[in-house]
Amino acid sequence: MSVTEDATVRVFVVDDHAMVRAGVRAELGNEVAVVGEAADVAGAVEGIRATVPDVVLLDVHMPGGGGRAVLESLRAELPSVRWLALSVSDAAEDVIAVIRAGARGYVTKTISGSDLLAAVRRVADGDVVFSPRLAGFVLDAFAAAPPAPAEDPATDPGLDLLSAREREVMQLLARGYTYREIGSRLFISVKTVESHASNVLRKLQLSNRNELTRWAATNRLL
Amino acid sequence: MTTPVAGPPAVEAAPRPPLARPRSGRVLAGVATGTAAHLRQDPLVVRVAFVVLAALAGVGVILYGLLWLTMPVAEPGAEPVVDLSSSTPRSRRQLIGLGVLGLVGVSLFSQLLSGSSGNIVLPLVLVAAGLAVIWRQLDVDRTLAVPGVRWVLTGGFALAAGGVVLLLATTGQLANARNGFAATLVILVGIVLATAPLWRRLLDSRAAERAARIRSEERAAVAAHLHDSVLQTLALIQRHADDAQAVSRLARGQERELRTWLYEPEVATGGTWAGLVARIVAEVESDHELTVDPVVVGDAPVDDALVALGAATREALVNAAKHSGATSADLYTEVDGVRVSVFVRDRGAGFDPSSVPADRRGLRDSVTGRLTRLGGTAEIRSAPGEGTEVELELPREVAA
Repeated sequence: MSVTEDATVRVFVVDDHAMVRAGVRAELGNEVAVVGEAADVAGAVEGIRATVPDVVLLDVHMPGGGGRAVLESLRAELPSVRWLALSVSDAAEDVIAVIRAGARGYVTKTISGSDLLAAVRRVADGDVVFSPRLAGFVLDAFAAAPPAPAEDPATDPGLDLLSAREREVMQLLARGYTYREIGSRLFISVKTVESHASNVLRKLQLSNRNELTRWAATNRLL
Repeated sequence: MTTPVAGPPAVEAAPRPPLARPRSGRVLAGVATGTAAHLRQDPLVVRVAFVVLAALAGVGVILYGLLWLTMPVAEPGAEPVVDLSSSTPRSRRQLIGLGVLGLVGVSLFSQLLSGSSGNIVLPLVLVAAGLAVIWRQLDVDRTLAVPGVRWVLTGGFALAAGGVVLLLATTGQLANARNGFAATLVILVGIVLATAPLWRRLLDSRAAERAARIRSEERAAVAAHLHDSVLQTLALIQRHADDAQAVSRLARGQERELRTWLYEPEVATGGTWAGLVARIVAEVESDHELTVDPVVVGDAPVDDALVALGAATREALVNAAKHSGATSADLYTEVDGVRVSVFVRDRGAGFDPSSVPADRRGLRDSVTGRLTRLGGTAEIRSAPGEGTEVELELPREVAA
């Protein structure tokens, strides 16, 4: 919880549309420091390397490989940078692909300024950002029936299932509840809600569920 | 041929159909049918004319052959009108016609060579039949990918080749032919090798042309869709430029439509719950000042119960639009094995459910009543200042 209290969050904006970059800058205002922006993959990699921001707002669709290319080339190199995907696309495979590549959350470009700010802060603090839509995708991907046992015994089967509590949290997120509201409704602390959400994100990134594999395959992640 | 060059200045209103062979309704290669359509005659008349001409030292046969070579095949859809009153199936008629033509041709040919023995009639018949089969298959641009066509072609080639060998054998020219064949083969291989780049380029350009055509057709489909949807909406937005509410509503509705078209084609077309929800949301958003973010998990085909649930959902959304004062609402619906649940949540004014004001009767009657009749439940959670959440749940008959 330290980053937001100690200093302004340093944000880097990657989007190939100048209008979107300007809009994001205006919406974030003075609450955060926008330390740079880039319009393509090469420029983003260079700029992020030079500035090492706290949060990168990453467009999913860009010429030259898209946001995932940026993520993949920098994620191991800059572990301190947090990534928040920002896209106009709501296609499930895009959402899942960018989360599996390492983004800590996903918001659409129609998000309001204050919500975007809250999401940036949350990601900067190391939490994950689940929009109702992303929560819905997760519930869809981890639909009720468990998958067939994995061929590979090294895979943790727990990764392919959501616990009852995690499902509950995801459902409430999909219904539009905030973390705080979920906590008070389920009689758990906000911190616990956050850790449930982080666990779900981890499962989303590591699971081998068929649906996820299929989505990943269509995007040549495998 | 009798192209009416010196005809009287067009008395008839409609222009003459172009001289072209139809794709269907042919007896042989469609020459007679096409000519008849062009001359506005009964095909039978033209056919009889051909036969009579054929009797005159084969003029009709030669004329037919020339016309076959020069007349283009009609464009699909722009075919000469053909009266197909005959009860004989078309393909059989065509086959019989070909057979008769072949026999006539062969007998004419053998009469020309009347000096030599009659042994060559059979080989000639075989060659003619084989050629007829091959020509018939390759005449129309049938795709070679159809397995039947390939077999028929192979059969035709075998027939023709057998006829040639038999002909050479009966005339005792087989040994000579072998040498000649070797020489011809060498020459042919040489020609093919020399012109190989040309053939390749021809094939390449054909493939490129095909790809370009497919691309342009796709582009036309996309353009048609964009014209009907996005461009219309953009025009509307320009007209309503000073009305922020209308502009944002138009933009939102259009965005949803385009998104569905791009990413969820099955939702756009199928009669499923997700599609129904999308339609309901679109209607509510266009009628009221409310933006709704629907999240749908799972799906099911729409039945009567789901239609009713959709109506209740719509009522809940309309209520949020009218009474909550909020400008947005969350809609979450999940279909699982045993039930369909719907949650409609707004962050508006809220109310005290124990003291329902008169104007909230609609919610209770239309939503709760409807769900109870269907064997489901409806729950309304609200408190002043905390918004409202309507939860609808409908048990689902599991299809056995």
